[in-house]
Amino acid sequence: MKTRIGLAVVGVGVGLWGLWLLLSALEPPALVRLPIWLGGAVLADDFVLVPLTVGVGSLVARWSAGPDRHRTVGAVRTTLLYVGITSLIAVPLLLRQGKGVNPTVLPRDYLRDWLLLEATIIVGGVAGYFFTLRRSRASSGDIGGR
Amino acid sequence: MKLPAPPTEKSFPSPLHHPRVATVIGRWLAAAVTICFLTGLYSHFLQDTPSWLPVPSRPANLYRVTQGLHVLSGIVAVPLLLAKLWTVYPKLFAKPPWPPSRQALATMLERASILVLVSAMALELFIGFVNTLQWYPWPFPFRQTHYALAWIIVGALLVHLAVKLPLIRANWRRTAETAPDSLPPAITGLTRRGLFRTVAGAATLVGIASVGQSAPAFGPLAVLAPRKPNIGPQGLPVNRTAGAAGVTGIDENWRFLIMGPQQLSYSLDQLRALPQSRSELPIACVEGWSQGARWEGIRIRDLLELCGAPAQSRVRVVSMEKGGFYATSELPEEFAADPLTLLALRLNGGELALDHGFPARIIAPNRPGVLQTKWVHRLEVIT
Repeated sequence: MKTRIGLAVVGVGVGLWGLWLLLSALEPPALVRLPIWLGGAVLADDFVLVPLTVGVGSLVARWSAGPDRHRTVGAVRTTLLYVGITSLIAVPLLLRQGKGVNPTVLPRDYLRDWLLLEATIIVGGVAGYFFTLRRSRASSGDIGGR
Repeated sequence: MKLPAPPTEKSFPSPLHHPRVATVIGRWLAAAVTICFLTGLYSHFLQDTPSWLPVPSRPANLYRVTQGLHVLSGIVAVPLLLAKLWTVYPKLFAKPPWPPSRQALATMLERASILVLVSAMALELFIGFVNTLQWYPWPFPFRQTHYALAWIIVGALLVHLAVKLPLIRANWRRTAETAPDSLPPAITGLTRRGLFRTVAGAATLVGIASVGQSAPAFGPLAVLAPRKPNIGPQGLPVNRTAGAAGVTGIDENWRFLIMGPQQLSYSLDQLRALPQSRSELPIACVEGWSQGARWEGIRIRDLLELCGAPAQSRVRVVSMEKGGFYATSELPEEFAADPLTLLALRLNGGELALDHGFPARIIAPNRPGVLQTKWVHRLEVIT
């Protein structure tokens, strides 16, 4: 219990120090708008990104109940997830493509590179699928059953 | 028509919404946050050095490594944070405690601390990443906000650990795993171990796709990074161009001044005639990119000797840059005395490009790029 109280007291102190830094460094108009952005960050996570993952996850689980799909579901799920996370990070790069403050900022063709990355992930997913298929057949002497 | 009922904590059947999963992914996220916070503090103190803090000038590549790690750990934290939020997502729909009691108050306080933690961390990672693109779409100053939010995150994280400590302890080691009731595990198939592998894979993937901005060997793979370390004049990227700094070049009357015990004045040709030294030093930017380069110029400690100043002197560096927060910088004693620290005139075998600070710039070991002042025309020995 002592550890927990200690952690909580230090935590509140450190957090208040951060709050004081904010209050002393930001002008009132910025201080008013910051909570809106903080709220927006929570909305984006808890009401867009995570529900999207939950939704796609349950669709994949439902789809996987079909005949013989249990072999594919792992590869499908991982591929979708990797495509999703890399695309999320690519969004700002794609939005700002060609708008760098100088030619050394954002120098790539991000649209081409993003498509290449996603294609690589999908090819990797297909390869992973065949790899696990071969391995499971080899280990079980499988004749198509479960 | 009846609207569907809002979800409750029980609406999420996956057995992966489990404290053991939260504990494991939480540990990874905590490691990323710790690295990010400590390297961020280091960068902050290098840029805004308090007088009581001695900063060493070696190892020369230290800042390159710490700031590369700062940005890398931030990017890697994105999939980890999302995985952590996914794991505990059903908690968002837990019934608010009612009627009011001390227990209910404690629960509300805990939820408030989690709101602070999640909102600050999500916004911190977002503005941190977008800052590396030098894009500032928000109505508050980046540096101050990023720094203050970091302390708020660490504070809220400690409170979160205090609250969850018994649960963390109970799930620190592997616990028994229950299979889902609805579908046989052979079909849905994702075990805890499978989830951990998938999340670790996602973190590795975004890491590999972005680390190349700090580690030039991986440059071609860095498709999720806003910089390619070898793109720019003389094979080196630029943050602030001469145009942005309002510097157009020099005329034949240009003089380089040293204000010390003696006042010295040099033309560019006279500077070139002074003994030249070479340094292999990186430009390591606060935005995480870095690239090594070969510099030639005059050691600052040689210039100090020429003007009769002691070897251990603080030096103010004044640029021709118009305005801007970094138009002047200070070299602490140890940096001014370091033999690697140059007033550089040449870069990678050629004369400095205007965007790299022609006619003369500072290059010192273990320093953020913004302090490697360009277009230098005066050094002042601080006594």
